[in-house]
Amino acid sequence: MQSSIKETIERPPDWKRGFGERLTGILGRDGVIYADDELLAYDCDALTGYRIKPLFVVLPRTSGEVSRVMKMCYDEDVPFVPRGAGTGLSGGALPTDEGIVISLARMNRIIEVDIPNERVVVEPGVTNLSVTNAVSSYGYYYAPDPSSQIVCTIGGNVAENSGGVHCLKYGVTANHVLGLEVVLPDGEIIETGGKTLDHPGYDIMGLVVGSEGLLGIVTKITLRIIKKPETVKTLFASFDRIEEAGASVSGITARGVIPAGMEIMDNLCIRSVEEAVHAGYPVDAGSILLVELDGPHAEVAAQMPLVEEVLRGQSALEIRIARDAKERELFWKGRKNAFPAMGRVSSDYYVQDGVIPRSRLAEVLGRIGELSREYGLSVGNVFHAGDGNLHPLVLYNSKIEGESEKALELAGRILGVCVDAGGSITGEHGVGNDKKRFLSLMFDENDLETMNLMRCAFDPKGLSNPGKVFPTPRTCVEQGMKPYAEHPLQKAGLGEMY
Amino acid sequence: MPESSILNELTSIVGGENAVLDPELLQSSAVDGVVPAIALYPENIEQISEIMKAASRAGASVVPRGSGTKRGIGNKPLGADIVLSTGRLNRVIAHESSDLVATAECGIALSDLQSYLGGKNQFLPVDPPHVRSGATLGGIIATNDSGPLRLRYGTSRELLIGMKAVRADGGIFKGGSKVVKNVAGYDMPKLFAGSLGTLGIITEATFRLYPVPEMSRTYIAGFESLDNAHDTVRSLINSNLVLNALEHMNPALAGSITEGLGLGSDCNRYTLAVRIMNVPRAVEDQVKTVSGISQENGGKGLIIEAQNEEAFWHEVREFPWRSSEQAGAVLKAGVLISDVPRVFILLDELSDKYGIRAHASARAGNGIVIISINGDREPVINSVRELRGLSESAGGSLVVREASPDIKPALDVWGGMGSSLGLLKRIKSAFDPGNILNPGRLF
Repeated sequence: MQSSIKETIERPPDWKRGFGERLTGILGRDGVIYADDELLAYDCDALTGYRIKPLFVVLPRTSGEVSRVMKMCYDEDVPFVPRGAGTGLSGGALPTDEGIVISLARMNRIIEVDIPNERVVVEPGVTNLSVTNAVSSYGYYYAPDPSSQIVCTIGGNVAENSGGVHCLKYGVTANHVLGLEVVLPDGEIIETGGKTLDHPGYDIMGLVVGSEGLLGIVTKITLRIIKKPETVKTLFASFDRIEEAGASVSGITARGVIPAGMEIMDNLCIRSVEEAVHAGYPVDAGSILLVELDGPHAEVAAQMPLVEEVLRGQSALEIRIARDAKERELFWKGRKNAFPAMGRVSSDYYVQDGVIPRSRLAEVLGRIGELSREYGLSVGNVFHAGDGNLHPLVLYNSKIEGESEKALELAGRILGVCVDAGGSITGEHGVGNDKKRFLSLMFDENDLETMNLMRCAFDPKGLSNPGKVFPTPRTCVEQGMKPYAEHPLQKAGLGEMY
Repeated sequence: MPESSILNELTSIVGGENAVLDPELLQSSAVDGVVPAIALYPENIEQISEIMKAASRAGASVVPRGSGTKRGIGNKPLGADIVLSTGRLNRVIAHESSDLVATAECGIALSDLQSYLGGKNQFLPVDPPHVRSGATLGGIIATNDSGPLRLRYGTSRELLIGMKAVRADGGIFKGGSKVVKNVAGYDMPKLFAGSLGTLGIITEATFRLYPVPEMSRTYIAGFESLDNAHDTVRSLINSNLVLNALEHMNPALAGSITEGLGLGSDCNRYTLAVRIMNVPRAVEDQVKTVSGISQENGGKGLIIEAQNEEAFWHEVREFPWRSSEQAGAVLKAGVLISDVPRVFILLDELSDKYGIRAHASARAGNGIVIISINGDREPVINSVRELRGLSESAGGSLVVREASPDIKPALDVWGGMGSSLGLLKRIKSAFDPGNILNPGRLF
């Protein structure tokens, strides 16, 4: 049972109205959403199972406005939840009914494009793909490419440390963010990093990326862009068994080849996808593997035969090589539509995001199969095989009594298998609200305590996206660590203090 | 100076044979002239934890130490009661070659680690200085030290995926994970990389590896003018080439290195060194392209390989410490790629104005310039000030990595830390409320 240490604050009867007026004073009438029906549009993100209506939603246009709003929240102890495009899959943007949502959607300018120095500076509401679009004509692109990149925002990418298909070779968001402007929960605006490298001091930037909105709100981001590769070659292979696809991945790595991306889908996903988008996937295959190689001509030309050799060695049923951009797009069409296609075979599905060491792929998949049979629920598997990031899709029907709960439990068991195999509970979707009950699978009390210590330097009042990531709320002792002495609330079993 | 009861307690934690109390022997562990009262050589993380608990209770300051190759970094410590060596924690704990991941204790010398990983034809692609002097994994992570290969692979900050550490109060914790893709919890490894032993003592690190490239070649070309060299840099960066290193050296350094290696005399020119590591065909193709671009800008080049190549890059990494002169200062400037020429021009002006001698090598694709300045005291101090002025006004930074004892106290080692300074101090205070870990060296 989770209990909140912070008692719900006693507010005077018309506090809410006054607070709304104060927000309007900062943002103007059109910067604040009051009406219930409009607020509902913000009551969840792409994890639609949990919905909470916030008190207000605000849409600031500048860092100054964000700062003033947050300062007011700090002064009046009002929690807040930052929000980008709301495409998150872990409930990271789920509002709190005691606070507000701060939407960064209106801060959507590309501030600077500096090609010679390979930098782009953006506001948090800029979409991921529009960064690449802004530099594409110069032969550059922004490498982290989550599937939702047409819609998802850089601010959200920063909060979750988003990956994407090509992060195997090129890294995740944290490897491409060079500078941030952050508004701390008390309204202070700080800058960390910038267009140049190796600034002295701690790597605040590295901490804030992936912090899921718990350390403040990012209002400006300096990104690194890279040159498009000379050549891209995509291979498609099908296998009888998914273990063969997994062994191919290990084999390719063992040959010293690091592809730009490697993706696997199992038969359940193949069939759903083929029905939906007709990508030409063989519906009888146990699994398919996509391998994308990129780089200088000669490097790719040398890697191709190595990869083909590995695939044949694993008894690939067929190997196709995309002859042009159109074919390449078709190979990818299936993979990119894997999630939506599941909607055709199942009324509901619950996607998870566990990571495992690549070498344990076959074993973990076997275990997932066993669990699926144990629970009587189908699990489709599509994943970033190159970095071991699984996306098991637990299919269920919410209209059948108890099935939603079963699906949740099964998903939790799958995450347990991932952690037991030496992996992680989340590779890119974030912990959010969805997986906080599993965080202790990976981290013990000392680990969580240490992380909380660090958070207290940013957000001593615990107002920034509360109720996310960490299973139990923890307060911050004013002067840092003291000799251990139980607080009355601890004695009463109502909470923990660090 | 800690009381003898504390020293006895600390000695009993590691055993008498693993503690040094002799003041004469302790001289070599001094940090900027501050001699410790005791040096400890714990054998595992539990002993380190006990040491930190005792030190915390006593308010004794602690300086973590690997091989001590970088102990000149940072301000003079406010205290260095205890030098805590990680040297005995030097095992490789795991190497999952099919996952391209390894975990090792932080007292391991990078060279030993690379030998081990080389057995499976893999390596940790980080090439900082002092590796031959025994630089340890922990020290390299704590300073986020790097070399020319950062162009392709990033620094250890990009490669570190998990860690275990001991806090100032002795608490043991881990952060990150053992898989390359993980976003659970805060990215504590990134906080600790480059934290200079001020937040905790890193004892174990997990990092991603790369396959050892099949072949390596380096193309070196001298140019008539700085502009020609920089135009070549711009073309190389804007191309599709995948370069492992792109170094831009000032005439003084280029002349000294090439002459020292017998690669030719009269090479006192702005010089580029481009390293390509890949499959043979991709190396040959790309070297040809590099050569073509260089020639378009009037570059006269040669290609080196094998021992010559190894020796060359060793000199590039170690040059600030090769000078037979009395050291002045070793600096690292972080500027925009397009501002690197301005740093070179200023170095020239400073030479004329103050008579200093400057050797400099830029990681041209990163905007990082490593500078070694020699000369009389006042000129060196003034030069550092002017170089920092240029770097900071251009939105960058300049850090004094090392300076001789008569110069260092007059220098601002770090320069401005900007608007996040208050937050940095709060973080330090959260992890080390007693300010016992490397006190004063960062701020």
